[in-house]
Amino acid sequence: MFDFLIHSPVTHYAEKTPDHPALSFKGTELSYAELDTASNRLAHALIANGLQPGGRIGIYMHKGLELGVAIYGALKAGGIFVPLDPFMPTERLQFILNDCGIEHLVSADAMASNLAKLSGTFTGCIYGIDAEAGSKTLSWEQIGELPDAQPDVWIVDQDLAYIMYTSGSTGQPKGMMHSHHGSISYARWGAQHVGLTPTDRVASHAPLHFDLSIFDFFSTSQSGATVVLVPEPITKFAASWTEYIEQEQISVVFTVPFTLIEMLQRGAMEKRDLSSLRWVLFGGEPFPPKHLRAVMEKLPDVRFTNVYGPAEAPSCTCYDLPPFPEPFDEPVPIGTVSANSADLIVDDDDRECGIGEAGELCIRSSTLTKGYWNRPDLNERVYLYRESHGPFPDVYFRTGDLVVRHEDGLLRFLGRKDRMVKTRGHRVELDEVEAALATHAEVSEAAAFTVPDDLGSKAILAAVQLRDAATAEVGNLLQHARTKLPGYAVPRELIIVSEFPRTSSGKIDRKEIINQFLNTGKS
Amino acid sequence: MNVDALRTYIQNEILNDPEFVIEADQDLLLSETLNSLSVTMLIAHLETECNVHIPPEDVTLENFCTLQAIESYVRGLSESSS
Repeated sequence: MFDFLIHSPVTHYAEKTPDHPALSFKGTELSYAELDTASNRLAHALIANGLQPGGRIGIYMHKGLELGVAIYGALKAGGIFVPLDPFMPTERLQFILNDCGIEHLVSADAMASNLAKLSGTFTGCIYGIDAEAGSKTLSWEQIGELPDAQPDVWIVDQDLAYIMYTSGSTGQPKGMMHSHHGSISYARWGAQHVGLTPTDRVASHAPLHFDLSIFDFFSTSQSGATVVLVPEPITKFAASWTEYIEQEQISVVFTVPFTLIEMLQRGAMEKRDLSSLRWVLFGGEPFPPKHLRAVMEKLPDVRFTNVYGPAEAPSCTCYDLPPFPEPFDEPVPIGTVSANSADLIVDDDDRECGIGEAGELCIRSSTLTKGYWNRPDLNERVYLYRESHGPFPDVYFRTGDLVVRHEDGLLRFLGRKDRMVKTRGHRVELDEVEAALATHAEVSEAAAFTVPDDLGSKAILAAVQLRDAATAEVGNLLQHARTKLPGYAVPRELIIVSEFPRTSSGKIDRKEIINQFLNTGKS
Repeated sequence: MNVDALRTYIQNEILNDPEFVIEADQDLLLSETLNSLSVTMLIAHLETECNVHIPPEDVTLENFCTLQAIESYVRGLSESSS
């Protein structure tokens, strides 16, 4: 039906259903024809300013119709788009811009004060803003004068489509590289699994730098359906979010359990008409069974799917809940591998585990990342090579997740092998939190840990030991953390301790800190 | 509860940063001054301090987007209950 590039469906539907909305945002829309021509013009602007195939384009803006134009404009120019969290601290933004050599930034006037902080360090071109920010800039008005035909660019499906940055244990984020081929595999899986049709209105609830957004944008365009962009502030208010579902007639949502639990507890669901909703996919972290049951009872006509997969191998397994499940108290399984994926569970010596044996899940999949940008050290460690029937080994990605396969053939998630945690769907390396705190001049050592929060997720807490004669207070330390870490990774509470409890080998005893915290409320 | 008292509560109890600048008309969500967790803390505080009940359907962007909006919403609740 389409060719092999992730942006091709937009052009296809611009010809087939030109007036059908491709994007909707707070009551305004962009049709497939409008999205096609606007993104073609942006692609011309990028190329005219020196973008070569494979060049990286940062997308740095809040949700809005321009977000779709930026994604497709970058891809049509043969570039690789890099989602940049509009809320991240400047230091982290600068790291990513440098790490993957971004010289083109698509942004918005609303980001002017953040862009000003880059003045002097970013010398590339900024698109979509009127103001001069010390860099070369191009407004949407100027871009609108460029040709509206798609530029002639030669790329293949093995080329990269996007690089997504996530928390890294060394204290700096790491960029996962995804090709057009992998993105299409993910998008088609989503479109087929849910049976998307042009009449569907799919919410874009997750931020662009979160891999759920790839489903939102690309499964939707594969199907000629409409992406309904959810403004960030609305995602913070469950009652506004349910109102938005009703107003925008959203039919499909892919989100994290936390959002659904908030909907249940504060979404005033009984006061909203949510009959447009037909399918809810959730993933990112385990869904506490009692909350999941309660959500399903409130939405009896909606199908629910538990989607598992690290951002490196999105949607590699899934589990469809039965429409009317028997009461259950066990966590729902992560199911079985998706089409075009294969799993291998291995023990600490990389021997294959049998039924009922816990081990690390390794995945071979068409959606698999091509590795981490600029990190050959990590790329050596994260793949497992197994002899295959042919001349080349099979390449599996080590997820770091512990799972077990039961007699019923379904996989169950057990936890992590390392110190990566999920907090309200966000992936955070606790080592990165500790590294950020330890950069404060008066901090001697830091220990980050999690405790259960009241919404079925985990809250990040930290304890620090200060240097002698230090005067830093909790407020100073949290303020420092905010300059280094994205908001969701900043500890919810921080405790200053005079001395850490230690294990017999002299390491910080984090288990003991957690026990002390849970028993007394403080360390 | 006036705008200054609200600001002080958010600075001291939510952000743990008394120096943090919050304008009365600043968007609290887009500036990440508040998130969903801190909104919950704020609601509990408002209910206790102002002796009002805030129903879930009222916890919306319109009522909580700025200090001014929160002040005006809570004042409306207090007036209607008195």
